[in-house]
Amino acid sequence: MTTAPATAAPTDRMSANRVSRDRRGSWIPTGSMIGTRIMELRKRRGLMAALIVVNIGVPTIFLLVRLIAHAVAPKSYGPAGGYDIFTALVAGVMYVFGFIIAATLGCTAGSVDLTEGMFRHLVITGRSRLALYFARIPAGLAIIVPMVAVGFTIVCAVCVFAAPTKLVYDGINVPPGLSLTSLESWAAQHSKEVDCGFNYNGPVGISIPCYVNQHGKVVIPPGTPGFTHISTTKLKAEAVAIAKQDYANYSSTFLYPSDLLMIKTGLWIELEAIIGFVVGLGLASLMGQRTVSVVLMIVLELILTPLFSHAAIPHLINAQRGLVGLATAHLEPGGLPQVFGGGGGGGGGGGVAHLVPESTTVAVVVIIAWLVGWTALGAWRMSRRDA
Amino acid sequence: MSTALLDESSRANSSDGPWAVETHGLTKRFGDNTAVNDVELLVPRGCAFGYLGPNGAGKTTLIRVLLGLTHADAGTMSLLGVPVPRQRDIALARVGAIVDEPRFHGHLTGRQNLQILAAARERAARDRIDSSLDRVGMTHRANDRVSKYSMGMRQRLGVAACLLGDPQLLILDEPMNGLDPAGMHEMRDMIKSLVAEGRTVMLSSHLLDEVERTCDAVAIVDNGKVIRQGPIAELLAGAAMEVHVGCSSPDGARTILATTALGEKIDVEESGLSIHLPSGTGRDAIAEINRLLVEGGIAVYRLEEIQVSLESWFLQVTSRLGDSA
Repeated sequence: MTTAPATAAPTDRMSANRVSRDRRGSWIPTGSMIGTRIMELRKRRGLMAALIVVNIGVPTIFLLVRLIAHAVAPKSYGPAGGYDIFTALVAGVMYVFGFIIAATLGCTAGSVDLTEGMFRHLVITGRSRLALYFARIPAGLAIIVPMVAVGFTIVCAVCVFAAPTKLVYDGINVPPGLSLTSLESWAAQHSKEVDCGFNYNGPVGISIPCYVNQHGKVVIPPGTPGFTHISTTKLKAEAVAIAKQDYANYSSTFLYPSDLLMIKTGLWIELEAIIGFVVGLGLASLMGQRTVSVVLMIVLELILTPLFSHAAIPHLINAQRGLVGLATAHLEPGGLPQVFGGGGGGGGGGGVAHLVPESTTVAVVVIIAWLVGWTALGAWRMSRRDA
Repeated sequence: MSTALLDESSRANSSDGPWAVETHGLTKRFGDNTAVNDVELLVPRGCAFGYLGPNGAGKTTLIRVLLGLTHADAGTMSLLGVPVPRQRDIALARVGAIVDEPRFHGHLTGRQNLQILAAARERAARDRIDSSLDRVGMTHRANDRVSKYSMGMRQRLGVAACLLGDPQLLILDEPMNGLDPAGMHEMRDMIKSLVAEGRTVMLSSHLLDEVERTCDAVAIVDNGKVIRQGPIAELLAGAAMEVHVGCSSPDGARTILATTALGEKIDVEESGLSIHLPSGTGRDAIAEINRLLVEGGIAVYRLEEIQVSLESWFLQVTSRLGDSA
């Protein structure tokens, strides 16, 4: 400390005009406030490492292992990418863990100023408490949104560029992207494989004794009882009928995800992360601490939401519809397996049939209500809280 | 090294009345406990003002109320003539404060913490980061993480944070905490230099000696109420007085004085007497003691008026309050 005479005196003089210029009482945060909040979060190495590991590291390592395995032993290990890998990674990993890690970031942003004693310093500046709170929202989103985007882009890139070159449907190589007519035509030309390999049910189907020889070819052994009664024409007709029956499933099976599906899925994953962050921020601001808030967010995502998304309880069904996880599950792009372990999807057409029913409008309203509601709760608490 | 001097235009801008801090009937309750009880406080501008009180007297609570960290249950207050909390943003733009132990984000450097605080202030605050760090002697550690700082260094960083806003009023709650003797000396000098620049420093401390050395005026708070306030010299002048008398016969002297109003409280010592005079007693009483003893045949060798320290006066007024309770 020095008490020497001024050499570089802070010359800006205090006045009401100065304050009105910097709009200190406004609830709108300044760009520099947001910028320093980003810095504060970004410098948390442990948290950032966890974010990177979960959002980028896990899918990247998974895909890298598959790429190496396929490069070393392509017959034993399938291609690293492809449609199935994309859907499994997105719905199985990125959706759930992206939410949790975003919620953790939100809970951190909402509580550390309080627990680390900085909130008091910030309040003493005279800056609006609402502005102090709202600065955290763009700051946190500026971290989580690009991070989710990077992880998702890596998944998309690998799934597209390392996709299988042949479409394997029911264990048989089938040309991708055929129309119904083309598939029927192809089935007629490959009647033995279709008759023996494709799944079918109902009126279609005859008992065809199939056998795969040492070369992997499907053959119908001559002399098999009953075989002599099935003509080639009949076999082709059966194959066409089976192809027609399977077309719905076939048409939702792709080598790699379409551009539209990737865009929709990316936005959906980002929406889930944004919800996780905003709700976590509001909850932690309300409670004033991080750990309990994070635990509650994990319980919500991993226990409550899966539980109440699938089992419709008549007296509680409207409350169930208020779950934000159920609402986002209803906005899941078609073509992805159902989240929360509901099965189906993945081109299987299972979709969201097992979820508690809810219209898209209601789902959107629920999501908006959660975002607005938790933001309002957090802002209210921070504006009233003793610092 | 740098300091700032409030220029004349600034003084003119800020002269909305003579008080840097003004409260009337300020009250803050926590359940049944009244931490701040109908406080009437007037802190003059441009001075170092000590805010003293025993532990739990409500010092920090009053500061928290003034700064809008918690709300008041009753009363009015203003900072630098600006009513708070109504115009809190305008008032606090010209105030810097440390409340309790200064704590910061430990994972950030001192400079980065100041950047966060400067971002919440006006644009010019960012330009003051370096000069503020320099002024508290933290430039060389500014890029170290705060988690590696000692308590004293965090205290200095807290003062640097106060200076970001180029404040007219600084409210420092126990600023000497954690400082070594050299640091306390520097802090004392810095407070004096801040006052010399035309700023007001309101200093809450339990270190009475430090307050006495640093401040021009004080307020004593006890049980949530301000029981005395004013310039230190005036307050001490009205305090109880103690006179040491060296004489030939202490017992004889006591007998003589015991019959007068001056002899209410006399301690006999080997070499003389120690006479405690009630507050408000003038210096003529010393001459009167001398006259009585000489007329009574006691040889007086020495008469010494003991200067009452702020500490002993503080103990007098707070314990007196306790006695009456």
